[in-house]
Amino acid sequence: MDATQAAVRFEGVQKSYDGETLVVKDLNLSIAKGEFVTMLGPSGSGKTTCLMMLAGFETATRGEIYIGQRSINRVPPHKRNIGMVFQNYALFPHMSVAENLAYPLKVRGIDKAERETRVLRALDMVQLAPFANRRPGMLSGGQQQRVAVARALVFDPDIVLMDEPLGALDKQLREQMQYEIKHIHERIGVTVVYVTHDQSEALTMSNRIAVFNDGVIQQLAPPTELYERPSNAFVAHFIGENNRLDGIVRSRDGDICQVELGDGSMVRSLAVNIGGVGSRTTLSLRPERVTVHAKAGEIDNVFAGKVEELIYLGDHIRTRVSLCGQDDFIVKLPNSDRHAMLEPGANVHFGWNAGDCRALDG
Amino acid sequence: MAKLPPYVTLGDRLWTLGYKLLCGLIYLFLIAPILVVIPLSFNAEPYFTFTPEMLHFDPAGYSLRWYRDVLGSEDWLNAFRNSFVIGVFATLIATLLGTVAALGLSNSRMPYRASVMALLLSPMIVPVIISAAGMYFFFSNVGLSQTFPGIILAHAALGTPFVVITVTATLSGFDRSLMRASASLGAPPATTFFQVVVPLIAPGVISGALFAFVTSFDEVVAVLFLSGASQRTVPRQMWSGIREQISPSILAVATLLILLSVLLLATLELLRRRNERLRGLR
Amino acid sequence: MADSTPILGDDGLTLKAKLRQAERRNKLKTFGLTVPLLAFILVTFVFPILLMIARSVDNPVPVRAIPQTLEALQSWTPPTLPAEATYRLFAEELLAADETGDLGRLASRLNYDLPGSRSALTRLGRALRRGAEDGQSYRALFEEVDPRWSEPEIWAGLKALDGRLTGAYYLAATDRTRDVDGDIVLQPENTRIYIGLYLKTLWVSLLVTLFCVLLAYPIAYQLATLPTGRANLLMILVLLPFWTSLLVRTTAWIVLLQSQGVLNDILVALGILDDEGRVQLIYNMTGTIVALTHILLPFMVLPLYSVMKTIPPNYRRAAISMGATPSRAWIDVFFPLTIPGLGAGSVLVFILCIGYYITPALVGGRTGQLISSEIAYHMQSSLNWGLAAALGTILLVGVLALYWIYDRLVGIDNLKMG
Repeated sequence: MDATQAAVRFEGVQKSYDGETLVVKDLNLSIAKGEFVTMLGPSGSGKTTCLMMLAGFETATRGEIYIGQRSINRVPPHKRNIGMVFQNYALFPHMSVAENLAYPLKVRGIDKAERETRVLRALDMVQLAPFANRRPGMLSGGQQQRVAVARALVFDPDIVLMDEPLGALDKQLREQMQYEIKHIHERIGVTVVYVTHDQSEALTMSNRIAVFNDGVIQQLAPPTELYERPSNAFVAHFIGENNRLDGIVRSRDGDICQVELGDGSMVRSLAVNIGGVGSRTTLSLRPERVTVHAKAGEIDNVFAGKVEELIYLGDHIRTRVSLCGQDDFIVKLPNSDRHAMLEPGANVHFGWNAGDCRALDG
Repeated sequence: MAKLPPYVTLGDRLWTLGYKLLCGLIYLFLIAPILVVIPLSFNAEPYFTFTPEMLHFDPAGYSLRWYRDVLGSEDWLNAFRNSFVIGVFATLIATLLGTVAALGLSNSRMPYRASVMALLLSPMIVPVIISAAGMYFFFSNVGLSQTFPGIILAHAALGTPFVVITVTATLSGFDRSLMRASASLGAPPATTFFQVVVPLIAPGVISGALFAFVTSFDEVVAVLFLSGASQRTVPRQMWSGIREQISPSILAVATLLILLSVLLLATLELLRRRNERLRGLR
Repeated sequence: MADSTPILGDDGLTLKAKLRQAERRNKLKTFGLTVPLLAFILVTFVFPILLMIARSVDNPVPVRAIPQTLEALQSWTPPTLPAEATYRLFAEELLAADETGDLGRLASRLNYDLPGSRSALTRLGRALRRGAEDGQSYRALFEEVDPRWSEPEIWAGLKALDGRLTGAYYLAATDRTRDVDGDIVLQPENTRIYIGLYLKTLWVSLLVTLFCVLLAYPIAYQLATLPTGRANLLMILVLLPFWTSLLVRTTAWIVLLQSQGVLNDILVALGILDDEGRVQLIYNMTGTIVALTHILLPFMVLPLYSVMKTIPPNYRRAAISMGATPSRAWIDVFFPLTIPGLGAGSVLVFILCIGYYITPALVGGRTGQLISSEIAYHMQSSLNWGLAAALGTILLVGVLALYWIYDRLVGIDNLKMG
């Protein structure tokens, strides 16, 4: 992406709270206009700090943050024109819903008539028009959430930031709100920077996801790529379920390498992020890419395994298998009549293709 | 009793009954003084006990004569005026200084927070007799004894701890992300302070102010030490009334003061409810 | 990725230094908010109290009025009488002091240490003003004016007045005095007041605290376990007295308890007492304790209530589910969790009680007075401000020690009202 068109750009940004350890280490990130980018990572990974720096509530220790062409390091938060949805919504309890929405317009000196039409429009957008005169305390969690979104959008900000906005909602409501936010984004095309630690939330809504760990972006990619082609062991492990097999690279032929596992078995894998022959590597293999009753010749890797445990999960059956010297190898079997039910204790051949088995950093 | 589960024994029942009776007696102890003063203030006779007429609810046993006495007495009216003037000014000073200090104290960056807090709350802990003695020495040196400003300053000092306590308590429940939200919505810091912070802490400030007012309105030791004849307050007047020659007019004044405290209590309760509603607690 | 080299900011300063700078600025700004109140409290409250403490050791008059006499007396020791030259020196200095009015002050000052000695000095002053007869020695003149001048005690008393600072008020405040040799001894038993009064004050405070605990615990428990609506209603019964003027409540107790009062009337009407056998419930220690318990009870109920309110009912349910009887669960689980509230309320009530003035003064009669009454007496009636200050300082030290304990125990932050 051409840096000059970016809506938001982090350039060499570092952040330290105590002058000794860096919470954010050399962040470089460009976000295109209209893009929905999610910062995903475990707590303490630096994602919220990045968001707060963008909002202006924390200052970058080093580096520059740009909105469009303008560096905003010296712009106070209230002049950045960034909408923000807070973790606990931060709706002003002493103002009605309509007053909350009118507030950003009022501080911008927009006249009353104009304010009213825009507040109504925003309320319509989140289907809360009948609640205009209620106090936030009288609304349900989901309604408060929608008011918070409407308030962050009502003044047509350049960018909207969302800091774990769905964290306080129950599962069902959370999923519904994910779609609502996604649809609002698609409809009005505003740039969104979203922070969460919930991977399914990130996968559902984002154009691109930045996976954070230890103050560094581990991978920045669209959801499918992130899931299908994780570039390192952390991402593979953090996004979705994942079998990890530790081994040593024995040979390499273009994209394909041979990896020897602890019990001596050799696995043909896709060389993604490995050192030379002899270096340690972690193989990452999605449980749903493993086939049962595999036959050598039809598939790249075939190993005998013993079924240890079956867990019925409705749409699929989670199967724990002893295989290649590991007893926590997980296989997901779709719940369809095409698959014969396995029995615990059965010895079965499992197989997978080299392309699904990614050799990553050890 | 009907709500007790079926497995309770007779002993349990007696125990529960006894406990309730005990609580009732304690509440009676708490409220009895107030309950006695109010009817006796309508006594037609200059006695401090219920006359037979009163006990038979004979209208002749009751009268408003002590109220007429109080309201017709220049001394009492003056005392009420003085108490209000001193109370209002002391409250203004205490509330202003206390609120500003509480804003600092509730900030996590406040250095020496514990020590400063201990110092600022000490006027509430140090016996008034000691504070009043000290103030007497100091105020006579600087020409403030037997003046209104002297008593006002003394009462303001005694009232500030209550303001500090209530406002810091309110601020500790204050969600700081609201200030960030306001900034993110484009409000400069001053706007944020006046439109978001002030309305939300107002109930705390007002109840702190009420505490400060009551402290001043009820204070007599500092007044005894610092006031001259022209600064007599209601408590000071009652003090000499009780000490010298107790007259039922004191009961009439007492009833008026009880009425005042009921009003204050009701105001506080309304504020508390408003505060809870604002925070979405109900 | 351990960074061993210091992190540098854009302008090359080490980040740590910059952070410290910013932190200091923020701290200053925050501290600045408390400065007006701090200044106000320091000027109107702390400074006056320091002034009072200074009074308790201040002794300006003797070294100003009779400096040479005091110096001469330093080389004198009882049981003899001073030399004639000292008499003359003293007479001259007294005459000069009479001009400035210091003679009266000196007499009062001496009188604090040697009760009854005021007249010996004032009479001497009058005699000196008339002038000595020819040939009469000063010593003879002194002894003619007042026989006490022929005894070493009064001279020893004068000698002890030396020094810009004095511990005499503290000696008096602890029932001690100096004997003729200048040694500190206990006063004769019949004039000891203060130690007993301090002990009585402590004892009464302890009793009142105990009564408050006994009365507050049941109702705090009831308030904490009742449904909110009814609890709020009953809470009014606690808060209304709390908000009612002290003098109103004190008046009410007088009306209730005096011998012709409501309670006695009821007891007589019920036939429990006969008309001659009315009990004296007020203007004595009983009155003080009843009224103080009533006034301080809310200070015990409120912290207890707020602690009990936070104890989840599930704790006791858990104990019961594990087989404890309800009372056992109460003793093992509930009660220990209320101890912080009990401690907080007790220390608070004790602190407030120990320095209470108004109520004991009004309902205590002769026997129900506490130490604060003595302070007020010396402030307003005897005008022995030094002694009042010394008594006050001792009380203040006690209260501050308790305040410190309270802070350790619960933290002043948790002090809540209403």
